[in-house]
Amino acid sequence: MDIGFDFKYSVMWESVPMLLTGVKLTILITVFGLLIGFALGALSGLLKISRNLLLRKIAGVYIESIRGTPIMVQVMFIYFGLPLALGMRIPPMVAGIAAIAVNSGAYIAEIVRGAFQSIERGQTEAGRSIGLTHFQTMYYIIWPQAFRRMIPPLGNQFIISLKDTSLLVVVGVGELTRTGQEIIASNFRAFEVWLTVAIMYLIMTLSLSRVLNYIEKKMDINV
Amino acid sequence: MIQIQHLYKSFGNLEVLRDINLEITQGEVTVIMGPSGSGKSTLLRCINLLENITSGTVIVDGHDLKDKNTNINFIRTEAGMVFQQFNLFPHMTALGNVTLGPLKVRKLAKSEADRLGRDILTKVGLADKADVYPDHLSGGQKQRVAIARSLALRPKVMLFDEPTSALDPELVGEVLEVMKQLGREGMTMVVVTHEMGFAREVADRVIFMDEGVIIEENTPEEIFQNPRNERTQNFLRKVI
Ligand SMILES: Nc1ncnc2c1ncn2[C@@H]1O[C@H](COP(=O)(O)OP(=O)(O)OP(=O)(O)O)[C@@H](O)[C@H]1O
Ligand SMILES: [Mg+2]
Repeated sequence: MDIGFDFKYSVMWESVPMLLTGVKLTILITVFGLLIGFALGALSGLLKISRNLLLRKIAGVYIESIRGTPIMVQVMFIYFGLPLALGMRIPPMVAGIAAIAVNSGAYIAEIVRGAFQSIERGQTEAGRSIGLTHFQTMYYIIWPQAFRRMIPPLGNQFIISLKDTSLLVVVGVGELTRTGQEIIASNFRAFEVWLTVAIMYLIMTLSLSRVLNYIEKKMDINV
Repeated sequence: MIQIQHLYKSFGNLEVLRDINLEITQGEVTVIMGPSGSGKSTLLRCINLLENITSGTVIVDGHDLKDKNTNINFIRTEAGMVFQQFNLFPHMTALGNVTLGPLKVRKLAKSEADRLGRDILTKVGLADKADVYPDHLSGGQKQRVAIARSLALRPKVMLFDEPTSALDPELVGEVLEVMKQLGREGMTMVVVTHEMGFAREVADRVIFMDEGVIIEENTPEEIFQNPRNERTQNFLRKVI
């Protein structure tokens, strides 16, 4: 049956070099976005469990407002909204990295908070009872255990954030999705190009989860 | 070694300890018994400052716990605490658990701390388990590591909160043995336990608590043979 569609492998191959430049940007945004997001998340996660009510509230407002709004709106707000208030343009790359950082930070905060709170109180008490200071107890006892418990949910979040970078298409960052769009605009081969784009995302996410699985196994010395 | 005067402790409106007066001399082994919720753990935790004192005085080795100049972390190393649930650090080996205090609190060199740690593990019969993680130890072994972890700080007093009640019956003996040994060596100990045999053999004194009050205290022989208070009698009947 002829449906007037002829699939061309060659289109896929030809699109690869250009798409790879998009892949590069996608990775760059993900890595920097998550690095900042992790710092932001660790900080607000710890604030969320701190003894200071005001700090807890501040962290709470941040986490809730990010988790309660679509990432697309956050991206638009940062790129189109904020510059009006700041009176200066924000380069698309910066806006992109900021959006991924601010967004992942809120989710990472919840991961960090959950991991810390899942460590039994007896661990803190045992630490304090051998004369460790509050800080030493955190550093030598609670943090290493909490970190292990964070790895699986962090891995999840990393993969989500990697995929979220495709939303940055709306601010015109030349990441993978945007690059795909541009190729299609010139050759009209939507099927082949989107398929190639999808495969590239898949390769990235699968590699990432492999790496995370490996780290998880490595750290799990005492089953 | 420990002087407690008019100690009161409340959690919100709940008064858990009421006017506790207790003097524990050096080398003395004191066993605390009493029904669940009577405040035994809370009393131990006040001595180790894991709980704030609501009112009254607690003096450990001459240091008033309420005195602003008293270094809380220091007091905690003077009074070692052994918990019912062991609370070993799961991400460290037995030796790692035992040497953490000496390394970070006493600031010993690594080699010195390791030597000390191995000595103490040998003492509790676990020389061969130094490099094993807690998850691969039996309950009795875990509790002995926990005791070693406290001993590594060379405390003046050891506090035990039901150290054998989370253990399978066949593992209780090995832990009690270590504790008896400590008692014989002259360690000052305060032990919350319902192990009569242990109390008879090593305790100098048994204290009976109920509803946050010390209702009877005496030598083990006296308190087990002719308990004066009716509540002590009832409790002992149930335990034996
Ligand atoms: N952190 C806390 N907050 C509120 N109430 C508490 C707290 N810790 C203990 N309590 C209450 O204080 C009372 C005494 O508790 P405690 O643990 O000292 O009793 P116990 O004699 O050790 O009992 P058990 O034999 O069950 O261990 C109980 O009613 C308990 O519910
Ligand atoms: Mg108790």
